[in-house]
Amino acid sequence: MTMRGIVLPALLLLGWEVASRSGAADPRILPPLEAVARTAASQFRDGLLIADLAASIGRDLAGFAIGASLGIVVGILLGLSRAADLLLRPSFDWVKQIAIFAWIPLISMWFGIGELSKIVFIALAAFTPVVLNVCEGVCGASHQLWEVGRVLTFTRWQFLRRLFIPAASPSMLTGIHLALIYAWLATVGAEYFMTAGPGIGGLIIEGRDRFDMSQVMLGVVLLGLVGYALNHAAGALEHRLLRWRPA
Amino acid sequence: MTKPARFRIFHLLLIVVAVMAPALTCAAQETVIRIGVASVGVGGRQYFGGSAGATARAGDYVEQEFRDDPQVKIVWSFFRGAGPAVNEALANEQLDFAYQGDLPSLIGRANGLKTRILMASGANVPEYLAVPPDSDIEGIKDLKGRKVAIFRGTNGQLAIDKILAANGLSERDLKVFNMDAPTAGAAVATKDVDAVFGSMELFDLQDRGVVKIVYDSKTDNPAFGRRSHLLVTEAFEGAHPDLTARVVKAFVRAAQWSSDEANRAAVFELWAKSGLPASAYQQDFNGQTLKFRNSPLIDDFARAQYKAQAEQANAYKLLRGTVDIDSWFDLRFLDAALHDLNLDHYWTRYDAAGRPEGS
Amino acid sequence: MISTPSAAIAGRRPGAATAAARHLGRVAAALVVPLVLLLLWTLGTRHGAVSRLVLPAPETVWNALLDMAGSGDLLENTRISLLRFVLGFSAGAVLGFALGVLMGLSRAAEDAIKPLFTALAQVPAIGWIPLLMLLVGIDEALKIIIIARAALVPVTLNTLAGIRNVPAGFLEVGRVFRFSHAQVLRRIVLPAAVPPIFTGIRYGLTHAWLALVAVELLASSEGLGYQLVWGRQMFQLDVVLAAMAVIGSIGFIMDQGLALVEHRLQRWRSAGT
Repeated sequence: MTMRGIVLPALLLLGWEVASRSGAADPRILPPLEAVARTAASQFRDGLLIADLAASIGRDLAGFAIGASLGIVVGILLGLSRAADLLLRPSFDWVKQIAIFAWIPLISMWFGIGELSKIVFIALAAFTPVVLNVCEGVCGASHQLWEVGRVLTFTRWQFLRRLFIPAASPSMLTGIHLALIYAWLATVGAEYFMTAGPGIGGLIIEGRDRFDMSQVMLGVVLLGLVGYALNHAAGALEHRLLRWRPA
Repeated sequence: MTKPARFRIFHLLLIVVAVMAPALTCAAQETVIRIGVASVGVGGRQYFGGSAGATARAGDYVEQEFRDDPQVKIVWSFFRGAGPAVNEALANEQLDFAYQGDLPSLIGRANGLKTRILMASGANVPEYLAVPPDSDIEGIKDLKGRKVAIFRGTNGQLAIDKILAANGLSERDLKVFNMDAPTAGAAVATKDVDAVFGSMELFDLQDRGVVKIVYDSKTDNPAFGRRSHLLVTEAFEGAHPDLTARVVKAFVRAAQWSSDEANRAAVFELWAKSGLPASAYQQDFNGQTLKFRNSPLIDDFARAQYKAQAEQANAYKLLRGTVDIDSWFDLRFLDAALHDLNLDHYWTRYDAAGRPEGS
Repeated sequence: MISTPSAAIAGRRPGAATAAARHLGRVAAALVVPLVLLLLWTLGTRHGAVSRLVLPAPETVWNALLDMAGSGDLLENTRISLLRFVLGFSAGAVLGFALGVLMGLSRAAEDAIKPLFTALAQVPAIGWIPLLMLLVGIDEALKIIIIARAALVPVTLNTLAGIRNVPAGFLEVGRVFRFSHAQVLRRIVLPAAVPPIFTGIRYGLTHAWLALVAVELLASSEGLGYQLVWGRQMFQLDVVLAAMAVIGSIGFIMDQGLALVEHRLQRWRSAGT
């Protein structure tokens, strides 16, 4: 990041501080930065911050793992079987258009209160992009691969392991990357709309209820940080795993 | 490996099982009583206030009842989503008892939830309308076309619809935002909505200068109040009638303590565990006796009220289909508890027209 | 190719017929799974095998849909949701396009803006809602801003990528023809960047529609998301399902529409090369 990159954010932060301290902006709406820091420190001291972070990230990863693995299996199935693709894909395309948050009332009513609802919701959010991308990846794997496999008399399993999965891996990783992003989005959504519990979403809602803008800001910053970390990790993983491909 | 090794493992397993067995059988005999509350304290506090049920929770009455039974565990759950959220839990068999309002319970029953009402808990709870301190809204009639926060699906909604109807309005004449209590409080404070309906939590906001209360159903028509009760799932009642009886007894004890005027200040202080100050409850109960609000009786008046609620809910399209009210109540446990505790005549019974019986 | 006219006609008609048959076949195949599921659904709920709480009978959902349509609620809510969506999405897409072009053309601009942009983009749209609620209230402004923000990010990023990834060969051609900057932009860069920009628009559409539902679930007094809230609070699963069906259908129609446009554009592009 060059020097120029720092200018705009720095100006923004500076402007914020000035507006808040000078009273030009209502300090309840725009608390000075150190108020946010103070809130962060006190939350940290009470152990609440760690608990909230752990809860959110835990849910996120659990739901993601379930949704992504299911997605990979289904995606491969759809990609390999022309029949399955013809039969299932159009329906899938329609169902995927139901905005993910529209599922919340249904999932709430089907799975009740507690973690299960949230995890199911997050898994659903992760499932969709993985299926689509894996299916595309497997479908798009060149027919020459079939030929190669047949020549080498591969078994079904070897076909999969040695040819299709490597060929489909870029799409697969794109799908997983997207799934991570959507899963995080769904985690926050689940914490807003489903019963309260520890979590960053809960932190934000609590802050809003108490007009504690610094707590809301803290939550937003945490959201961004975790989102960034996940994004970065996914990107790095993608980069590493795909190193073998020619540029 | 070789025989000796297999034997060793087998012996080890035997020892493990022998040690675990008592623990396992103990766990198998443990019964969990799950009580759900369609409310939650300030900031997520696991307490509530304003009713005998609240007293039972804050004073650990149920836990006291079972203190000599270590294999019975009591678990309380609080729902920010109020009645509708409790319905979701009941539908998924995640609760055994619930403290819930009349409308959400009616909705649940209409949708096939198999529950039984055991006793009243929190009857005639007044409904209030609050607005920002400098607002020009002075009464219900001024709400036409304004933005109002209502928590849909709760017993408050039914009370509100009746109040609106009495003033020639309906929900369609307002811009209704669905919000739970904390959200609504925040929204009216920032003037995102013009008015909010609610109950005693609004007094706390008024005392802090955030809102002013412009309507009190106590001064208008007491029938415009909310009603709540304690219910049990048919499944739990059938499987554990003895436990059900004891839970009811605990609640009745709490109701009795909460109905004694000598305890008035202490009751409000106890309820303050929910995060609302005692003064909020005191203002809410102003002009009403504790006995009137905390009576657990389901008398003819209450039955008539439930029937009327069902009809009106139907009329306001909050409910679809008919609900069988008569078979809904199971008052055996209540009657038994009243008898055991010698409280048969402690609370006044009212007849269907609302007059004290025997008057 | 084919020499005689009659042979040409003969060669074309069977082709057209099989294409049509194949298309019909595909449509039929697409309908198999939904019809089977519908059948299972009807059977399951008819004999009470599945509780009404878990899955209402299909006719209940259909009736709920008709009810909503009949009372005018459906039209009104759809109209309001679509209006918000169109306003928010257009604002976000236009801004995103402008921002993307700015960053794409000027390295300096990219260096200055991208870090802040990426940082702000990390927080999902839904994370901004409580913050913005405190700032701008719960009126239409909140909804439009959230929807716009949801559309903005993918459009910006894809526009930027599209402009940056113009093949060097194309730019060479421009140099050979001594195009001015404006001509390079208009004749080479923008057309070449159209596919990624379009992908960005499709993503933006999905995200914006998602944001619409989210914000209507949280803070609205009308709209399709609000219909969902009503269904949930009143424990009317059929209303929830009906609303979900409408939301899904609208999303589907929009996406298919865009796909069609994209297809046309692709054909135009490959016809050009």
